[in-house]
Amino acid sequence: MSTIIEFKNVDKVYKSGDHILKAMDSVNFTIDEGEFVVILGPSGAGKSTLLNLLGGLDTVTSGEIIVNGNHVEEFSDNQLTSYRAKNVGFIFQFYNLIPNLTALENVELMKDIVDVDIDGLAVLDSVGLSDHASQFPAQLSGGEQQRVSIARAVAKRPTMLLCDEPTGALDSKTGVLILNLLQDMSNNMNTTVVIVTHNAILAEAADKVIRIKNGQIESIVLNENPKKVADLEW
Amino acid sequence: MLKKKMLRDIRKHKTQFLSIFLMAFLGVFVFAGVGGESVGLEVNSDRYYEDTNLADGWIYSNYINDLFLYQVDILGATTQMERQLVVDSVADFSNDPEITLHFVENNTISKFYLVEGEPLDINDKEGVWLDKSFADAKGLKVGDRITFKFENYTLEKQIRGIGYSPEYVYHASKSSVVPDFSKLGFAYMSYKAFPEDTVPYNVLNVKFDGTPENYNDLLSYHMDGYYNSFVERSEHTSVSQFSEEMDQHQMMAGIFPVVFILIAMLILLTTMTRIIAHQRTQIGILKACGFTDRSIMLHYISYGFWLVLIGSILGLIIGPMTLPKLFYPTMSSTYILPSWEPAWSLDFVYVAIAMVLMSVLVSYYAVKSIFNENPADTIRPKVPKVSSSGFVEKLGFFRHLSFNARWNYRDAKRNKFRALMTIIGVIGCTALLVSAFGMYDGMNDLKEWEFNQINHYDSKLVIDDEASTSEIDDVADEVNGDKIMESAIEIESGTAKKSGSLLVLNHTDLVTPTDYDWNRIDIKDDEVSVSRKMADMLGVDVGDTVKWHIMGSDKWIKTKIDKIHADPTSQGFIMSADRLEYLDLNYTPTSIVTTEHVDKNYTAIKTANSMKDMTSSWDELTEAMWLLIYILIFFASLLAVVVLYNLGLLSFTEIEREIATLKVLGFKTGALRKLLLTQNLWFTTIGFILGIPVGYYILKIMWESSGDSFYVLPSISLTNLAITAVITFSLSILVNLMFSRKIKKLDMVESLKGVE
Repeated sequence: MSTIIEFKNVDKVYKSGDHILKAMDSVNFTIDEGEFVVILGPSGAGKSTLLNLLGGLDTVTSGEIIVNGNHVEEFSDNQLTSYRAKNVGFIFQFYNLIPNLTALENVELMKDIVDVDIDGLAVLDSVGLSDHASQFPAQLSGGEQQRVSIARAVAKRPTMLLCDEPTGALDSKTGVLILNLLQDMSNNMNTTVVIVTHNAILAEAADKVIRIKNGQIESIVLNENPKKVADLEW
Repeated sequence: MLKKKMLRDIRKHKTQFLSIFLMAFLGVFVFAGVGGESVGLEVNSDRYYEDTNLADGWIYSNYINDLFLYQVDILGATTQMERQLVVDSVADFSNDPEITLHFVENNTISKFYLVEGEPLDINDKEGVWLDKSFADAKGLKVGDRITFKFENYTLEKQIRGIGYSPEYVYHASKSSVVPDFSKLGFAYMSYKAFPEDTVPYNVLNVKFDGTPENYNDLLSYHMDGYYNSFVERSEHTSVSQFSEEMDQHQMMAGIFPVVFILIAMLILLTTMTRIIAHQRTQIGILKACGFTDRSIMLHYISYGFWLVLIGSILGLIIGPMTLPKLFYPTMSSTYILPSWEPAWSLDFVYVAIAMVLMSVLVSYYAVKSIFNENPADTIRPKVPKVSSSGFVEKLGFFRHLSFNARWNYRDAKRNKFRALMTIIGVIGCTALLVSAFGMYDGMNDLKEWEFNQINHYDSKLVIDDEASTSEIDDVADEVNGDKIMESAIEIESGTAKKSGSLLVLNHTDLVTPTDYDWNRIDIKDDEVSVSRKMADMLGVDVGDTVKWHIMGSDKWIKTKIDKIHADPTSQGFIMSADRLEYLDLNYTPTSIVTTEHVDKNYTAIKTANSMKDMTSSWDELTEAMWLLIYILIFFASLLAVVVLYNLGLLSFTEIEREIATLKVLGFKTGALRKLLLTQNLWFTTIGFILGIPVGYYILKIMWESSGDSFYVLPSISLTNLAITAVITFSLSILVNLMFSRKIKKLDMVESLKGVE
């Protein structure tokens, strides 16, 4: 497996007035293609910042982020936009669906930005939601909404799926279902999946576990034999 | 798919989008509608004047022969001229209508405008071309015969054509301001129809190059003594009366709709900004998904663009098509134009374009400001502003205020923009209402001032030009009346030159000049008083000296101003007969005023007008103005509804979560309603109080630009102020009631779920 993502000495500093916050402090790591990566850390450790930097939603203060051999930190706004469109599928804690579009329409929305022929119903079917295609987000349960959000993210066949606390707002049973889905995506479609969470149990299912604390890497552990999500003890 | 999202968004927030549409529509509708009326008048009259080649000036002389023509021709500036004999005649009907006959040499200048029959034929000795208004009033048709009597002649002619003349857009007799078309009219004939071989031409219609002033100077320099007077186009009774009417319409069209459209635009723009601000997280999602800035921008710009575009275009089309139609019928009873068509001006299009551009621009900046934030932040709701305790909160009493007051104070403080916009919206509506009602009061004041405070007679007898002094005195004695003299004058001070009127009073109690507070003032025998507005226009004051002359005479007199009076409708001098004669001018009374009701006919008297006649003709003359005022009041109220509802709705959406939280905490619907109402009332009160002076200022500008002869002090009666308050506050409360239903229906779970 080849390295697809590389962080080299990444710093991220937030300034608000006199207050300076170092959210990323010389972070280095690599992620291989098709890896199922879990990033662990307490609240405020910089997990979301890492994900946002990787997803091109935020820019580094210094350092390099290399994805598929391209330097993301050097991208212009336009390049970042097409990088997000082609390479990144985001999954948020609060699903962030467009409230005025149905489940199917939320998925098919991606047709507007990528040149991939998307069969919205088939994608919805793959997350088990083809029965709810014409419902609006408000009519769906949290788990269902999150599945739509996964369908939306995978529909455009991104290089990586970036998931920010994808189960944070869900009960554990539904959470397992979602994580299972993500693991399947990673295994079956060879999609790189990066999950940010503070739920340490998930570590056992990951190919690679990156722990961060106070903006710094605490440890990077490779799992020789990751468990199936469904087999985890919650 | 984004299009679908837009349509759904619009459907979901339909009231807000409806109000965007309505404001674009109403703004342009009123602007273009009221403007189209006054532009229409201008375009119609200009076209009419041009089609009929209306004279640039009229030279009056007792006898205009070939030598006279030659002299005028060699002035150089004259480009075209035509002689006419203009005489007053009486047509053979029971009510002795006054018909002004024009014997024309070739009908090339101030041409007769034919409506039916055959065109004016200069070789036709037996034909007459008659005033259509008169013909209609008398039921005369082409082919009928009509007889005129003047001096010693009786002419019987056949009506060949019926139509209009550009010199008679406004045609009223000296005795009445409102024309009665069964009593007066005009007729055109060939000079060959005149009973004598030589026609004693007395008017020369001229067209010339250069300014009227230049032409006048040339004329008086080269031909002094050969002619009686020269009247330029703008001084011609018909032209000037109509242009004064147009001025009044323009003042309304020029100020009110501008304020109106500015308010509509302001509210439209804030609404758009806030709708986009609400979409903040969705913009974040779209960005995270990889939508380009451009496509997101286009998506949000098209929100307002189509609605504002359609609203503006509809307003642009419907406004001038409908509003002017309300005015023209009342106006066409006083003024005669061949066509009454509303007109479009490019200005309207510019305003509509500005409206659309502004909405695009504002959307652009609203979205741009969200783009400028880090996309990672955009997907989260805006971080609430940190509130710090200000000076007011630190005061001891703040803690003792009710929760209601404290909550509202903090809410307003944290959302200054929203608070400011609501207050500005209320200021705008109040100002519009105050100025519209102020116009209403002003028009009433004007009538009261003119017909009750200054003039106290019951009848005004207009003295015949031919009457002798003894005849006049006899009539005056018989009716116990007082003689007054009214005359048109021209006053000059330094650089300013204004036409006005002269009123000569001879110790009468029936006409009493007042100051601007309607207090009677006494103008002594040796004093000359100038009206306030005239003094302002000339830039003079008590003690200054001005130069003036009576129209039709070139004798200029220098006079020192001793007093200043105020008059609502006529601007100029008031002095005593003694003072006039002291200035070496003839005292020639023009009317007799009396408290008796006079029905009897006197030879020395041309007509007798009762106060009732005069007030009713005043009412008729001001009908169009009244209509305009009612329309202004209506639209000001309508705008107020839209603005207040829209602002209320926006505020409600913005604090929906907080309200839901309070509801969850156990606040009763009633208490929450009161919470919102309190804020609403605070803002309305502040806006209302600030709106009054703004409205007063608009009113002042409107009256100041109301033409040279009107003088009205901007004021608004307490009653109307109260009505304005009632309208504003009840709208505000009404809007609040609409939201209380929303509070009741507010789904606590739904509005607290999911920070999206």
